[in-house]
Amino acid sequence: MTITMPSVSLMPYLPEIILLVTALLVLLVDTVWGDKRWLVWLAFLGTLVSGVAVWWLAQGPTLQLQDMLTADAYALFIDMVVLIVAAISLLLAYDWLIEHNEQQGEYVALLLFATVGMMTMGAAINVVTIFVALEILSLSLYILTGFARERLTSGEAALKYFLLGAFASAFFLYGAALLYGSSGHLDLIGIGQNLGTGGLMAGAGVALLLVGFSFKVALAPFHMWTPDVYQGAPTSVSAFMSVGAKAAGFAAFLRFFQVALAGSYAQWGPALAALAVLTMTWGNLAALRQESLKRLLAYSSIAHAGYALVGLAAGNSLGSSGLLFYLLAYAFMNLGAFGVAIMLEKPGSGDVMMSSLRGTSRQHPLLAATMAVFMFSLAGVPPLAGFFGKLYVFGAAVEANMAWLAIVGVINSALSAYYYLRVTVLMYMRDEEAGEEEVAVSKPPVLVFALVVALFFVVIVGLWPSVWMQMAQQAALIFG
Amino acid sequence: MVMRVVFVVVSLFTLVMAFMVVSHPTLFSSALYLVATFLGVAGLYVLLEADFLAVVQVMIYVGAVSILIIFAIMLSRGMMGKRTSSHNRQAKWVALASLLLAILLLYFITVLMRWPAVQAGPVPAGAIQMLGQDLVGRYVVPFEVASVLLLVALVGAIVLAREREI
Repeated sequence: MTITMPSVSLMPYLPEIILLVTALLVLLVDTVWGDKRWLVWLAFLGTLVSGVAVWWLAQGPTLQLQDMLTADAYALFIDMVVLIVAAISLLLAYDWLIEHNEQQGEYVALLLFATVGMMTMGAAINVVTIFVALEILSLSLYILTGFARERLTSGEAALKYFLLGAFASAFFLYGAALLYGSSGHLDLIGIGQNLGTGGLMAGAGVALLLVGFSFKVALAPFHMWTPDVYQGAPTSVSAFMSVGAKAAGFAAFLRFFQVALAGSYAQWGPALAALAVLTMTWGNLAALRQESLKRLLAYSSIAHAGYALVGLAAGNSLGSSGLLFYLLAYAFMNLGAFGVAIMLEKPGSGDVMMSSLRGTSRQHPLLAATMAVFMFSLAGVPPLAGFFGKLYVFGAAVEANMAWLAIVGVINSALSAYYYLRVTVLMYMRDEEAGEEEVAVSKPPVLVFALVVALFFVVIVGLWPSVWMQMAQQAALIFG
Repeated sequence: MVMRVVFVVVSLFTLVMAFMVVSHPTLFSSALYLVATFLGVAGLYVLLEADFLAVVQVMIYVGAVSILIIFAIMLSRGMMGKRTSSHNRQAKWVALASLLLAILLLYFITVLMRWPAVQAGPVPAGAIQMLGQDLVGRYVVPFEVASVLLLVALVGAIVLAREREI
């Protein structure tokens, strides 16, 4: 018999392929080159070239790879967010890697692989592809979490993340199997057309998939791993996964609910709204009493997942584009906040205690001011990026006749302002106590550069939100 | 009737072996029981007339995966013959919770759920060819992207296993 090879054009997958090749190059160069510093720059170059490919794809018509992948405006928007996250994360990790002086090649390659997984999740239009991409992303993150091998907490975090993550993946897979059983399709459009009213089996499938997604983006009550993992992981990895994995997870989450389940919004809308309320309230309440800056940021990231979910629960076009805008804004401010944490952390401890923030502004006024901007943005103070993110998703909730959800969100924002301000107050207003040692801060140029970039965008996105919102709206148009 | 008896015997064998995997105190014996479990699953495939899957199951899971696991155990220092308890203080409660959940799920799956029943037909000729063509045709993207996943696992294993150089 003759085997006809399918004619497949890999063009829509070009940005991911560029990153893959870069990752392989990094692994290869790592074995022959003595100076490891260039690996990070090579990877950085790869993200830039991949970004150019994304821009190039955006100019032409929408390309699609069978019923598996697409390079529509939505996928390209996610590509952009994820590439920015990867590029800044590489810079954040640069000095930590040099100091560590082991396995930089693997770190950089795994970070790129994780980025490929994230981009694939944004582009996937088939449950199988979503699952494979999710696994690439998760596996890379498990290993990156355990990279600080001199600290026991890092290994513990990696093991915890791995066990719970594998469990969540099983939920996801079972859900996908049930959906396939009830609709006979694996591609999202096919599921949407054939699911009908669904029935018990489809309902169980959707619920299990929801658990899988909720775990990956850290929604309560599936968030238990988050604080331990963010605290234990190297801070540059926490920064990367807190924004990257969230963006990718929400990308697939939103596409799944908007395409495959567009017809049954009445059923899942209220469930998602309840999940959003639970997540933001739980995250904010727990964050109030944290003494470690990294744990505080972990709980804050849970709360932010709740705010972002409001956009999804609203189920209208403003909600979709608002969620996309939120992911972008959140990327800059959270990367910045973690970047400052990297600067402040004592060598070897891998964490920053709140008490050691006292008097930072005296010795390092610029650093304290930068952190204050990120904190204000996370709290949602206008005119910074975080404010407009919240404005859009809460606006979408009002538009969808869920004003109560927007009110809960606003109350939660007010609650969160307490702990964000506490960080700022500790840095600014408390006098150093007598005998307090000087806050040791190293300011390597690459890290400073990364912070300046993040700061720049937090302000720019806040001052001209319409430019970015237009891109998000363009991307959300695919949901019709 | 004969088939039903065979099915019950094979299933029971698989379940008992699987239970031994998680309860045996030495890791090495657990790995051997895992081989037996995989063989039991292959037997189930045979009963379902999925000969190809059964052969693949034996070749990949019994042949490759189990051997790999046994190698990993033998090469890890201090793992051979070391007896460790496979449960902690919470074991009783976990067992109880699992049992309750299993009963609930069984009820849910067998009684509540209306599975669309499909009349069993003969396996179409050339099923294996169709499977192969689908893998490089319709499902070529996840098939290829899965190789990236394997590469990540490979790099990760090296990172975790490598001795510290300093």
